[in-house]
Amino acid sequence: MAGLLHKESSLGYILLGPGFVFLAVMMAYPFFYAVFLSFTDKQMGADANFTGLENYAKLLGTNLFSKTVVNSLVYTLFALVLKFCGGLVLAVMLNRPFVGQRAAKALFLLPWIMPTVFSTMIWSWIYHPAFSIVNEVLIGKLHLLSEPIPFLRQETWAMASLIYVNVWRGVPFFGITFMAAIQGVSTEILEASRIDGANRWQSFWQITFPMILPVVIIVSLISTIGTLGDFDLPFLLTRGGPNDATTLFSLTAYTLTFSSGFVGLGAAVTMTMFPLLILLVIASLISVRRQEAN
Amino acid sequence: MNLARHSRKAFRATPFYFLLASVGFILLFPFYWGFISSLKFEKDIYDFSGNFLLAERPNLLNYGTLFGTPHVFTWFWNTFSVSVATTAIAVTISVMAGFAIARLRFRGAAIAGTLVFITYLAPRTFLFVPLAQILNGWGLLGTLPSLWLTYPTFLIPFCTWLLSGYFANVPHEPEECAMVDGASRVSAIVRITLPMAMPGIITAAIFSFTASWNELLYAIAFVSGGDNKMLTNGIVGVFIGGDYFSWGPLMAAATVSSLPIAILYFFFTDRFVSGITAGATKG
Repeated sequence: MAGLLHKESSLGYILLGPGFVFLAVMMAYPFFYAVFLSFTDKQMGADANFTGLENYAKLLGTNLFSKTVVNSLVYTLFALVLKFCGGLVLAVMLNRPFVGQRAAKALFLLPWIMPTVFSTMIWSWIYHPAFSIVNEVLIGKLHLLSEPIPFLRQETWAMASLIYVNVWRGVPFFGITFMAAIQGVSTEILEASRIDGANRWQSFWQITFPMILPVVIIVSLISTIGTLGDFDLPFLLTRGGPNDATTLFSLTAYTLTFSSGFVGLGAAVTMTMFPLLILLVIASLISVRRQEAN
Repeated sequence: MNLARHSRKAFRATPFYFLLASVGFILLFPFYWGFISSLKFEKDIYDFSGNFLLAERPNLLNYGTLFGTPHVFTWFWNTFSVSVATTAIAVTISVMAGFAIARLRFRGAAIAGTLVFITYLAPRTFLFVPLAQILNGWGLLGTLPSLWLTYPTFLIPFCTWLLSGYFANVPHEPEECAMVDGASRVSAIVRITLPMAMPGIITAAIFSFTASWNELLYAIAFVSGGDNKMLTNGIVGVFIGGDYFSWGPLMAAATVSSLPIAILYFFFTDRFVSGITAGATKG
């Protein structure tokens, strides 16, 4: 036994063992079980019968599913672009020395740190149909609007409101990681480019940005995967409404499985994320490899 | 002369400080609004005449309502105990796996690292449907042990990834010296390398605790019954039942439930920042 623990290779397997077993039982096995369930008519409390591709055919025929796919893509794409731009602005801004910089960095990270469930409750109060502070200020105090904004009650507004909260929460994450990457860029190269006559704008886009690009890509991919699988925001703010305008993959799968009891159908919904997810994971692996090679 | 230069500099910086203030307002105002609303009387909450940005008659009635809600203390305890248990499980397993991946040479170490990264990317959405069936088969669905088993599925990949990065940067020489002096490999690791990696281990623990505290999907899908709930699904269930929202107690609940994380963050800001940047940028 002592010999096994002393040898590098056997100790390696012993140390990896618990993690490997855990992830195999709690992640790999459920994954294959989900593939199996998606080919069955499994309902809550009933036995599963193999039905082949029936669940997938059923999904393709429903409005709910096509809306789920479109919503998820719109939500992820808009949120990603906005978080990316906002994160870049935040990173450049916080990178410049100013009075109270440390405090600002700590405070600006709060939307990302604070529990999503509870900060989203505050947003649901801010978006209140009758007592929204935004509407009160815009209509009552500033007289900029005459009609209240239907934040969560009109389809387009509801999607926009959800995206806004996702961006609000995610921008600090993008900002802090981008800032860490910017700080890794050598100041000597930047100064050299200044001497060569480049202005701030040019040296940012020609030197800093290409150098932080690997990190930018990894952060964006990780965030894309998280956003695509988001459950908390649509569940807490809209329950997928109005008219299924804000339901995403996870909420649709949740509703079908736990509210309606169609486990097979719910599993099929999560499986339809798989092709997109695989592409994102492969892209992440490639960019992490590149980052390592640098 | 000096003064003039100073004020000119300050003047040029005005747009920057204006931008800074606007960003700060956008990011932080929601917390302020939630907190201020929690201090108001029920009818003042809906009153936007006068100085609605302050609580003119601040009181803790909403907090009384919150703590008078059945099971709330149990939910606090559940959330705390589950977060501690899952953190202990995840960090122990991750320290072992992260060390092996970063520092031991054996066949499959590189593949193990890649697999951990892939599991880190798998969203919770992907597994909650089959996990519910599996937990049901084991007789655990509805109970807290279902969370002890499922939360580590998203904690272990992140912590292992983070910790293998830390271990890779801890120098090898002290451990090797101890072994030359006759220590066994295990005692050299435990006594020399683990203490040197302590900042990373603390970061991993804080992240695990926070992530467990914040989790909603698995809590909603896997536990039920008043006494088994976590703060997240418990509070969501009570206050968002039907169309009537009691906004005062709800804002009090949001404030109180976020407080432990806020305190943790206040003491460990740098750990949070290094965890986030390491998690995102480490190759």
